[in-house]
Amino acid sequence: MRFFYHLIVFYLSLNLIWYLFREKKFWSQASAVLVLIIFLLRLFLAK
Amino acid sequence: MKILEGNKVSAILLLLISLVACILSGLRFLSMHQKEEIFPCQALSEKKMLSSYFPGLKNTNGDTEVYVFQGEEKGANLLILGGTHPNEPAGLVTSVLLIETIDVLRGKVCIIPRANSSGFTHSDPQEGNPQRFDIETPRGTRSFRLGSRLTNPVHQWPDPTVYINPAGQKLSSMEIRNLNRCYPGRKKGFLTEKIAYGIMQLIIKEKVDLGLDLHESAPEYPVINALVFHENSAELAALALIELQGEGFDFRLEASPPNLRGLSHREWGDEARVMAILLETANASHGRLKGKPSSALVVEGRDKNYVKAYKLGRLFVPFEQEGIPLKLRVARHLAAVRAILRSLQELDPQKRIEIANWPSPSQVMEKGIGPFLNSTK
Repeated sequence: MRFFYHLIVFYLSLNLIWYLFREKKFWSQASAVLVLIIFLLRLFLAK
Repeated sequence: MKILEGNKVSAILLLLISLVACILSGLRFLSMHQKEEIFPCQALSEKKMLSSYFPGLKNTNGDTEVYVFQGEEKGANLLILGGTHPNEPAGLVTSVLLIETIDVLRGKVCIIPRANSSGFTHSDPQEGNPQRFDIETPRGTRSFRLGSRLTNPVHQWPDPTVYINPAGQKLSSMEIRNLNRCYPGRKKGFLTEKIAYGIMQLIIKEKVDLGLDLHESAPEYPVINALVFHENSAELAALALIELQGEGFDFRLEASPPNLRGLSHREWGDEARVMAILLETANASHGRLKGKPSSALVVEGRDKNYVKAYKLGRLFVPFEQEGIPLKLRVARHLAAVRAILRSLQELDPQKRIEIANWPSPSQVMEKGIGPFLNSTK
């Protein structure tokens, strides 16, 4: 179960990073990063 | 790559910022795994782990310390549970205070200060609660964690839509991580159910006669300043209530509802046939009407919103300007446990428990908790 959880969160994190490098507007990039922080904390099971 | 035609400089910069934020906040979250130190008094007979009663808990975040005080003479066996709900600090602090002071002369006392040890490793999301609160002692400051009511979702996931607990009761999803809804536990269940099962195994193997579960609740909650008793301990609770009223402590009796399943005061009595009582005190930091959450609110228990709510008749306990401080809540637990033990002796002198160095509730109220805590091993 934990493996699938990691897989889902990892996939979503990669999507966010992909979006970050594709986006031209700074504030849209900043919004993506705010979400990315939470996903990374989940990925490393800190929170 | 042509497809990545965004602003790469700002992307890299923001990615670095997010990594720094992750590391800083991650370290802060992970610091909750650092246990507060407990310095048992010399009278301690043995320190065990709950996994020694149920090996299924070994090397899990549900394993927790059990402090055993064995008297020289035979008497009744008592279990005291603190930290079933880690956001109810009076249970933890009362347990720690007892571990660091008492000397059992007759009978046996087992104390679990952090019953749901996983719940201490995180705080409730969106509550803004402090991670810790401090108690001043003559030898320095002692810091205690203020955890969550529920097991850490990092340790137990996912929550089902509807939870059917081991006693067969249907509950809402997150109650699967509430230790006091998971009794009598499941040997091969989720982590919280395993903790409950481990505690049941301890009750059976240590031949516990009386189990006390220390809690706190919000001042607007009707079951408060109460002794919640299983029907097999009705006489014991009634006698203790008389004694407490004689000492000036206002308590009420609440019978454990037979159809509310999975709770300690129900399943310990039904499954293990032990006398079971749950104790509640009033904690403003636990309630929905409180103002800004802070460690001062946890320790000093002062909140102007609750003063107003009391004046409007919305509370089940008196709440004045001086609040309900932690030292008073701990003193109430100490007084209640002592009254229950005295009543047990009155009901069955053979099955009595004699304890020396019991911290005096009136002195705890007067001097605070700190002077009674140890600071050295």
